[in-house]
Amino acid sequence: MPSAAALRIEIERTLEHRFPAALTPAPRIAREVAPTGVAAVDALLEGGLPVGAISEVIGPQSSGRTSLTVEFVAKRTEGSQVCAWVDAGDAFDPESAAACGVSLKQLLWVRCRREREVTKTKPWTRLDQALRATDLLLQAGGFAAIVLDLGDMEAEHAMRIPLATWFRFRQAADRTRCSLVVLGKTAYAQSGAEAVLESMPFQPEIVGGTVWRGCAFWVGRKRQRFMQFSGVRKPPASTWRADAAWETGRSA
Amino acid sequence: MSGELYACVHAAEFPAQALLRLRTDMQSQPVAVLDGPASQETICSLNRHAVQRGAVLGMTRLEAEDISGMLLLRRSAEVETAAHAVFLECAAMFSPRIEGVSEGTACGLALDIAGTERLFGPPEKLSARLRDEMATAGFRVSVAVSANFHAARMKATAAHGITIIPDGEEVRSLEKLPIAALNLTEEHKETFALWGIRTLGELAALPEVELVKRLGAAARDWRALAQGVARHTFQPIEPEFALKEYYNFETPVEQIDSLLFIGARMIDCLVARAAGRALSLASLAAEMKLEGGRIHRLAIRPAVPSVDRKFLLKLLHLEMGAHPPQAAVVSLTLTAEAGLSSKVQLGLFAPQTPEPSRLDVTLARLKAIVGEDRVGSPVLEDTHRPGSFRMEGFVVGAKSSALEIERSRMALRRVRPPRPVRVVLHAMKPVAFSDEGSRFEIESAYGPWKTSGCWWSLGGWDTEEWDALAANNNGEKFGCLLVLDRLRNEWRLEAFYD
Repeated sequence: MPSAAALRIEIERTLEHRFPAALTPAPRIAREVAPTGVAAVDALLEGGLPVGAISEVIGPQSSGRTSLTVEFVAKRTEGSQVCAWVDAGDAFDPESAAACGVSLKQLLWVRCRREREVTKTKPWTRLDQALRATDLLLQAGGFAAIVLDLGDMEAEHAMRIPLATWFRFRQAADRTRCSLVVLGKTAYAQSGAEAVLESMPFQPEIVGGTVWRGCAFWVGRKRQRFMQFSGVRKPPASTWRADAAWETGRSA
Repeated sequence: MSGELYACVHAAEFPAQALLRLRTDMQSQPVAVLDGPASQETICSLNRHAVQRGAVLGMTRLEAEDISGMLLLRRSAEVETAAHAVFLECAAMFSPRIEGVSEGTACGLALDIAGTERLFGPPEKLSARLRDEMATAGFRVSVAVSANFHAARMKATAAHGITIIPDGEEVRSLEKLPIAALNLTEEHKETFALWGIRTLGELAALPEVELVKRLGAAARDWRALAQGVARHTFQPIEPEFALKEYYNFETPVEQIDSLLFIGARMIDCLVARAAGRALSLASLAAEMKLEGGRIHRLAIRPAVPSVDRKFLLKLLHLEMGAHPPQAAVVSLTLTAEAGLSSKVQLGLFAPQTPEPSRLDVTLARLKAIVGEDRVGSPVLEDTHRPGSFRMEGFVVGAKSSALEIERSRMALRRVRPPRPVRVVLHAMKPVAFSDEGSRFEIESAYGPWKTSGCWWSLGGWDTEEWDALAANNNGEKFGCLLVLDRLRNEWRLEAFYD
């Protein structure tokens, strides 16, 4: 009786002219990912956010999108790598970022100027400034992660960013092996993004009715290129929780 | 064979060369340099194009202006001092023993090059390299090499290009030089003219004793000079290593691009001089004298010392763009600080970081887009005041300052500047607030968390913080930080939990 391997070879040889490898699984390219530092999200993304590509973390206010992005930056700055935070709304909070474990010395923070501070010689809006700054940082190379924070930007403004800009960013990120994370209210990069994570508020955790000690967030994988089809129609989702900064349990 | 060997380098018309060396656009035009009081200006130096047009030394400004196409520049002592330093610096690359032999408006240096054959090759090669180096710095020079100091000096002054006088051939080499090369007094010049002695060769042929009887003991020295056997005690000067370039514009310059046209050439010279000593430029300071007498200063300091002229020029360009001079520029001085050439040890497993020089340019460009104080790394202040931090320059390679965190934390999104809001209280707790015309119902509020400090100074604070879970009209819930400023009795929306 022929073995299973011999049978497989025989079948494949017979069907060779129609299917190149009928019973052999197609080889998969191992794509580089960077862990986010949140186990539930890493499991959802099969390792973490992609390196050399655009990822989007989207959601409404208080959905945990900023906390998740800060966690990711904290993880990336654990070694000697450097990251950049392009802050279109000037909303980044260094205090809470440091409490999340971000090494501030390894973080380049670009705070876009408010419209009313715009001068004649520099007439760019915040969105313009953020896009120009991101472009420059991507071209410079060497950053492990760049966060383009459009979290406070009105969606109708950010949706006007041309698709060509996102493709250019993707090319530059790929060339410099940088994870470009776009933080926004909704997905802007469309097909330019390799992964889109949607975040939603879930449930605040209160102790004794007086102290807010943290929050649980819902996070769903809205899009991920190169992901093996799992047969599940509903996008996979998970929950994770973040403590408030005053919650004990940290060691200096 | 005496074992002595001297190379003499001679730059004629030094005032003109000093002014033109940074102006490559003027070097092919007739240029004359004027000196003296405003009403009695005369030409003190000129280039060969000006000579071809008929200009001569001593010509007045009016006479010079009659010559078509003639460019007239004002003599500048500062420019000449800076050019002389560069001239000396170039010569010092070939020998540490240098003596100044300048005469009139010419600039001359004698280099003791004995024993340099193994470094620079035979005298022919050394002379060619010396001349090329001077040409790179913007000087047209003649070079003469001889075992006799004075023979080299006189030949360099009289001849063009490179002249090598073989040992023992000094008399033959100098014989055609005019007797004026000896710096004689008018009386002695007349005497020699009466005798029919016009060249050094004719003087060298005269009998020594008869000559001394008629003209005194000095005649022995002149004869020795003419024969190329005069002795000389070398008096070396020690060139001070200062990376400084100066240029005085003939008309005030308003455009940054025009300034950088000269600035680029100055940076080239500074880089070449630093590189000659295996050094790099650690910082570059630009001092611009403006119309009206004010001084505008700029400084750039790359993350690592560099000799990349394009990179330094780009940094200077961006800095000038960020801090433009408020009036037309009259003169530009560039002073550089030398630093050791940077060596970066790359590692196979070292994490990828931005290249320092590219990062410098990127940071400068970012500052030009968003503002000087809005790019950098945040540093938390050593205070309990909420939300206090300062911005510092971003440096690659800074040691990690992160806390080791075991659990995920909630991050805040700050509202800058904090927005004043109207808060409705019930039983001393906020139950609703209005922000920019919208009303938000507070489902639950946790607090107050009281902080205060610096009560002894004007910058004191006394606040109550409330963590509020609110919802808007659409039912979307969010967490925010409401703060009551007890000193001003004002409620503010400080941040959102996100």
